[in-house]
Amino acid sequence: MSLPDSVKLDLYRAMVRIRTFENGIRTLINDGKAGHVSFYTGGEGVAAGVSAHLVKEDQIGSTHRPMGHLVAKGADLNRMMAEIAGKSTGTNKGKGGAYHIFDKEVGALGGNGIVGGSVPMTAGYALRNQLKGGDNVSISYYGEGASNQGGVQETLNLAACWKLPMVFVCENSSPEEQTMLGHKIDYPQLSISDISLRAPAYGMPGDSGEGWDVEEVYRIAGKAVELARKGGGPTLLEFKIHRLNADEDSEYCPIKCYRDKLMREGVLTDEIDEKIRAEEAAEVKEAMDFAVGSPEPEPIDAYDDIFVEGA
Amino acid sequence: MTRTITYAEAICEAQRDAMRNDPDVILFGENVAAPWRPSTKGLKEEFGKVRVRDAPITETAFIGAGVGAAITGLKPIVELMLIDFGLVAMDQILNQMAKTTYMTGGNVNVPMVMRAIYGARGGGAATHSECLYGVYAHMPGMKVVVPSNPYDAKGLLATAIKDQNPVVVFEHVRLTNMEGEVPEESYNIPFGVANLVREGSDVTVVAVGRMVNEAAKAADELKSKISVEVIDPRTLVPLDEEAILRSVAKTGRLVVVDEDYERCGFSAEVAAIVAEKGFHNLKAPVARVANPNVPLPFNKSLENHVLPDAVKIVRAIKNVVKVG
Repeated sequence: MSLPDSVKLDLYRAMVRIRTFENGIRTLINDGKAGHVSFYTGGEGVAAGVSAHLVKEDQIGSTHRPMGHLVAKGADLNRMMAEIAGKSTGTNKGKGGAYHIFDKEVGALGGNGIVGGSVPMTAGYALRNQLKGGDNVSISYYGEGASNQGGVQETLNLAACWKLPMVFVCENSSPEEQTMLGHKIDYPQLSISDISLRAPAYGMPGDSGEGWDVEEVYRIAGKAVELARKGGGPTLLEFKIHRLNADEDSEYCPIKCYRDKLMREGVLTDEIDEKIRAEEAAEVKEAMDFAVGSPEPEPIDAYDDIFVEGA
Repeated sequence: MTRTITYAEAICEAQRDAMRNDPDVILFGENVAAPWRPSTKGLKEEFGKVRVRDAPITETAFIGAGVGAAITGLKPIVELMLIDFGLVAMDQILNQMAKTTYMTGGNVNVPMVMRAIYGARGGGAATHSECLYGVYAHMPGMKVVVPSNPYDAKGLLATAIKDQNPVVVFEHVRLTNMEGEVPEESYNIPFGVANLVREGSDVTVVAVGRMVNEAAKAADELKSKISVEVIDPRTLVPLDEEAILRSVAKTGRLVVVDEDYERCGFSAEVAAIVAEKGFHNLKAPVARVANPNVPLPFNKSLENHVLPDAVKIVRAIKNVVKVG
């Protein structure tokens, strides 16, 4: 069944927004105005395809490459960009940086500097949802490296035992030839072809798909999110992706793949595409200006926020 | 109304009170729903298996789930069966639980309590015997509570559950059956306020947890010869520095007693604070009675050899006060 045109264009726009945002970061870094960032580029199909099923009250836990997940969840672009520039107006007041961006207002909870670190916490978001009795879900994003971490495996078990309303979304960024941070490794870190093969071992459904095909992600994630919302417990999904650079020339670029498809279908025209890209570029430009124009934190601010007040 | 109950019963009462008052308070951990555990006895029966649940023996997963539940507005009490077992979950404890508030600039907070049994039990060996509160107090972002008696246990835990920050509560294994006068009604003991256990004028002894009782024993034994003041800070973070400095200003001498490892630990911290801020009041070098950096041995006589106790505290006090 074909998706409505409006859904298709939303998916496309979400991916363009992520890429445009990260390219804005690249510009700031080149200008010496932003600190260290690990980019998400190439994974846009996953963040866009999963987040299309979420509402603001759902939560996500992300990784040290959090931009795609956070942008797709609706995190504030201005305050995110300011955080990446280390400014006091940032989501984290300049104390966390790109790896640790949280935007609580939209359930973007959050980046994490430790590989696999957010996964147990995301089970906690799901536990909260379960106890509150609504139909909210949480999404736990992590990579193929994290998939082997003890905490991730423990959390798969816990989520299955407690039937938590969550979806594990593993982005496997070296699907053909195993690499670690772009380096070819002599010994594999995975002894299986599909990470979702682990799902039955934990007593939950699982599926794998191509992350560069946003509609495939959308379809697979939709089933898992619906199951979790209905109280059916967690699902383990894996999407293969390729880490890419700023441009869109790769056959694995989810934006290029979808642009070509939507053009063939006549859903997207050059004119609509230019309009979408211009609008997203304007938002990102505003975020960059906001970040650059924002003040640095004061030295005294270093001492705040170790604890919050109140009991 | 006050009556006599045990340390573990006091801990159970604080949790029961909190769960009655606030539906967002939940409890999970290994075996917390078991009917024979004195510090959680009856809670599953009263509040049900949704709010009181056993977790698989996976500390990283369930402590992390506590962090996430707290971030999203619940008030989880997570029980770590033994503090030594927390070492398998250090990322979730030290990176996530402790630092998320700061790293998010206060955008989120983690109103979570982690309760843990700690301390030498007599033959537990070094994975079932440690204190380790020094490790937790070292990392900014967690409050560290070490109650020494049933009254403090109930009042401090009540405060911990209300706190909007992560709090680790250390419950000494050998205090489980300690009896004491505890009010039936709920009450809060503020953090950062030391308890004056014995008033004295010749020497200040600072101790926490079970060592408070050993220090009091030593003070009572020396009563006719040396006037010993015993201070129980009750919370390591925040620490009532003023009470310690005020006492040392009066006595001019300090002995710090600590069941934890001596190196870079609580005893060193107290000694350093007094050296920095109260040096001019000292009439003698500071003495420490702590575990001499030995992993707790299994053999009981070896264990006793390295553990601080009243006898060693008496010896240290006499040495500092120069009374033969």
